[in-house]
Amino acid sequence: MAAVAEQPRRLRRRGPHARREARIGLLFVLPAFVLFVLFRFGPSIAGVLLGFTDYSLMDSPTFTGLDNFTRLWDDPVFWSSLKVTVLYTVITVPGTIVAAMGLALLTRRAFRGSKLFRSIFFLPVVTSLVLASTVFIWIFSTDGPWSTVMGWVGGHTGSWLADDVFVVPALAIVGIWSRFGYGMLILLASLQNVPRELEEAALTDGAGPWQRFRHIILPSLKPALFFLAVIETTASFQVFDAVYVMTGGGPANASYTLVFQLYDAGFKYFDLGYASAIGLALFVLTLIVAVIQRLVIGKEK
Amino acid sequence: MSLDTHGTHGTDEAREVAVMESPSVVAAKGEPRRFRPGSRRRDGSGAGREQDTVPYALRGTRRGKVLRGVLLGVVALATIFPFYAMVVLSLKPSGAVEFPGSLLPWNLTTSAYSDVLGSQDVPQWLINTLIYSIVGVLGTLLLSALAGYAFAKKRFPGREAMFWSFLSMVMVPYHVTMIPTFVLIAKMNGVDTYWGLILPSLANAQAVFLMRQFIQGLPDELFEAAKIDGASEFQIFVRIVLPLIKPIMATLGTFVFLWHWNDFLWPLIVGQSTDMRTLTVGIASLQQQNVPLNVVLAGSVVAFVPIFMAYLVGQRYVTEGVAATGIKG
Repeated sequence: MAAVAEQPRRLRRRGPHARREARIGLLFVLPAFVLFVLFRFGPSIAGVLLGFTDYSLMDSPTFTGLDNFTRLWDDPVFWSSLKVTVLYTVITVPGTIVAAMGLALLTRRAFRGSKLFRSIFFLPVVTSLVLASTVFIWIFSTDGPWSTVMGWVGGHTGSWLADDVFVVPALAIVGIWSRFGYGMLILLASLQNVPRELEEAALTDGAGPWQRFRHIILPSLKPALFFLAVIETTASFQVFDAVYVMTGGGPANASYTLVFQLYDAGFKYFDLGYASAIGLALFVLTLIVAVIQRLVIGKEK
Repeated sequence: MSLDTHGTHGTDEAREVAVMESPSVVAAKGEPRRFRPGSRRRDGSGAGREQDTVPYALRGTRRGKVLRGVLLGVVALATIFPFYAMVVLSLKPSGAVEFPGSLLPWNLTTSAYSDVLGSQDVPQWLINTLIYSIVGVLGTLLLSALAGYAFAKKRFPGREAMFWSFLSMVMVPYHVTMIPTFVLIAKMNGVDTYWGLILPSLANAQAVFLMRQFIQGLPDELFEAAKIDGASEFQIFVRIVLPLIKPIMATLGTFVFLWHWNDFLWPLIVGQSTDMRTLTVGIASLQQQNVPLNVVLAGSVVAFVPIFMAYLVGQRYVTEGVAATGIKG
């Protein structure tokens, strides 16, 4: 199809016709491209450069080399927010993927109400976390449902958000709640790739549900799982909205994440060079994790 | 029993063409779930048609079905619970709210809503959010349709370089560009203005990418024929391109609306005065000011209702969009 489409164009490549086409093409791209250069391409480069400067919006940036990065390395707050962020990610990403996988398998085949279930599970994905957070504050409060339920099962009662050990798991629960529906849809789409014949053959050979899952379904889901793992890790590394509303980074910095630190550095202290350096660190960390995930998930094959 | 979940709409024909044509570009990006040829079914899951062909043994036993129903029911209730609590508590008089008594739908009052809607701020925040979302959707759709059409169907110098520079930016995380973008907007005196809020959000590489993918799948003959009939480029765009890309506009429009409506960090740093807040920023600020819980939640419900309606109306586009392209809600 593509090759066929190219042909007539090649024939009239030069000449007034082609020149007019080029003009129109450029004209149509121009508005998007200008905005793009101004607000994405330019800022990407500027973001990297700013990381190597001292800048506070008032005076012009001064180049300070690696100062911001050595400062970051020596900053206990950075290590603590990195730890919080990693802990949050380590709970949220597997939790989200496991929940998504389970529900995708359960709603995989159509049955009465299957669409309704899928709609319900996806609803939190389209809901603003800021709005949901306002009610989660109550859910996790001392008199709220969560600590009551925890009391029944012998867990940690009292407000999880006010406890420096349980605050990150509480935020992770909100994170999982808000995102498993997205993973479920991605996996549902991917489950269509599972070869039906193989499943039937395995069934005839007496393979149980677990064996069928492990040897037939899981291998076909690998690309989707990798995609999900990267997307979810990136999102978790950038957790901000729920933290801002629910805990403000507290108690005692126990939920102070990397993006929170970036926000504070940039827009509370106007230390824009330092904030940019945190942004770069975040970027590099995300890349490293993506590469590791690729190696781990890609290797097995 | 087999509902028409796989029936195809006339308007979806063109989209299917696009879906079939373009898996390769996406595969190169390492995101194999986008525009997969197989994702042609209405809800992206293949439900419906499949039921008839699934061998009986794979459909599960009766006990399995009951177990599945119970499991799904429990998770569904847990998923909805925060929404239920949000609505019920917003309808309670202010004062102590304790579990589980306060969850019963008794003793309801709309006083929190009259507080919220009668206040000076919330209606203003609602207007701001509407402006941000609607201009955001219209602007993004127009810009990405123009650019996507040019990238897909026009030859001009620098086309490939421009397109790949667009694409590469999808990889750069928002937080790297956020600070320089803020500096730029501040230097242009755009802080606390609508244009400062909206303009950067219109630079949406993902939208351009999706538009290009879709338009590439439309047959060239349509445009050639119009040209032979003497239509100007502008006429071709308005009369032929725009009607043909309705399906992708619906999908993209729904997503862009949700992105804008739910956006938090950018409106938080650009809208610094109370009057320039969006609903998400405003409600976060209420939360921090010792405003009674029922009033904060009433504000949340007010902000949530439009999302919910957009989801009800555009649900098909949302679920299809995720399944076919991987765009995130």
